[in-house]
Amino acid sequence: MDRRRFILATVAGGAGLATAGLTGLTASTALGATDEELAYANFGLAVEFLLADFYEKTTAAKLFKGATQRNLVRARMNAQEHASSLTKLLNDAGQDAAVEEDFEFAWPASTFRSKQAAATQGLKITQNLLGVYQTAATSISVAAYRALYASMTANVAQQAAVLSEALGRRTTGISFPAALDLESATNALEGLLG
Amino acid sequence: MKRIALVLAAAALSVSLTLAGSAAARPRATAPLTIYAAASLTDVFRALDPAQRYSFAGSNALETQIRQGAPADLFASASPVNTQNLFRAGLVAKPLTFTANRLALIVPKSNPAGLHSIYDLRTKDVKLVVAGPSVPVGGYTRTVLRKLGMSSVLAKVVSQETDVRAVTGKVALGQADAGFVYVTDARAVADQVSVIRIPAWAQPRVRYEIAVVNRSQNKTAAQAWIRTLLSARGQNALRSYGFQPLPKKAAP
Repeated sequence: MDRRRFILATVAGGAGLATAGLTGLTASTALGATDEELAYANFGLAVEFLLADFYEKTTAAKLFKGATQRNLVRARMNAQEHASSLTKLLNDAGQDAAVEEDFEFAWPASTFRSKQAAATQGLKITQNLLGVYQTAATSISVAAYRALYASMTANVAQQAAVLSEALGRRTTGISFPAALDLESATNALEGLLG
Repeated sequence: MKRIALVLAAAALSVSLTLAGSAAARPRATAPLTIYAAASLTDVFRALDPAQRYSFAGSNALETQIRQGAPADLFASASPVNTQNLFRAGLVAKPLTFTANRLALIVPKSNPAGLHSIYDLRTKDVKLVVAGPSVPVGGYTRTVLRKLGMSSVLAKVVSQETDVRAVTGKVALGQADAGFVYVTDARAVADQVSVIRIPAWAQPRVRYEIAVVNRSQNKTAAQAWIRTLLSARGQNALRSYGFQPLPKKAAP
């Protein structure tokens, strides 16, 4: 299997995992998480909207071709599905989930003008989201929520690999990426979230 | 004698010119509208149209007054909850969204508690002031804290106020270490307070609605006033005071 087929296969696998997570989530709604735990979902939802917007603008700019372009189209769908799962999680927990229209994303003017700028920005977003999902997957009290975050972690890691390759870097990086707290990730992405 | 007559004639001319001038400057001959509006709209509404009669307070208090028969022509609320309550009760016409806002945490310029991030509220010893839960900004404050997973900081609240202006005043005067207000109120006291941003992902959906009160004797003028508020002039005035553009889905 060449690298392109490998990436496509793993992306498809990630979508399957996310669906499984959503199914598990339905059964967990009676369990209830604390507000502190639901903060991961509020952050994740906003960043998934940001990512979906990023992929939409990147693919519309036609900066990439072939497999990379197709993977970015697929990644947009991943972000939208993650957002749907997190919306359901929040609504089931009694919170009023944000919608995309609540945000005015603030992209730097140069973001979608070159492959380098776009992929760098995308990588920054995915790496911060990945760090927060890792923390959520290991710290939340509700097992079904942990499963959801674990599957989303796997998928966002695939997206990071695609963006890393688009920058001409390796698709595999360090063995143990760091988990992130909400405050650090918020500080890193606040400028983009508007 | 001639000099006295000249002075008297000049004085009479001056008075008549002044009267003529004031009549020309008056924007309308009809009676002013009575507009009940959220406290956060105080500065912008007065600047937009100083000729009307205003009553500014917490939207929940204004809703109660209108229920009790207060003689308002228009009601502008900082939360759709209050206007929709009155609409369901048949007391106002269908409300329209006219602007949006965001929340901020403010601290006195001297910043005695040493707050630099909203997350510092968790760890620092803070005298926090918020609006009561039934006041729109008080409800929004609780939404922010819940989204951030920081509802526990409500244990640090030393005072619950009846409207946003009271929260702003207490922090500006240094009677509290921090308070949650609208960004528009923070701007009004920018020389006395510092603003700490609330993350975009934790912001509540702050929407302002306005409606004509059904008991109004001046409905035509009230509807015209709403049109002015929704016009480019009205929206520019709101933006100049820091309000957010009309939400995409609510735009007419």
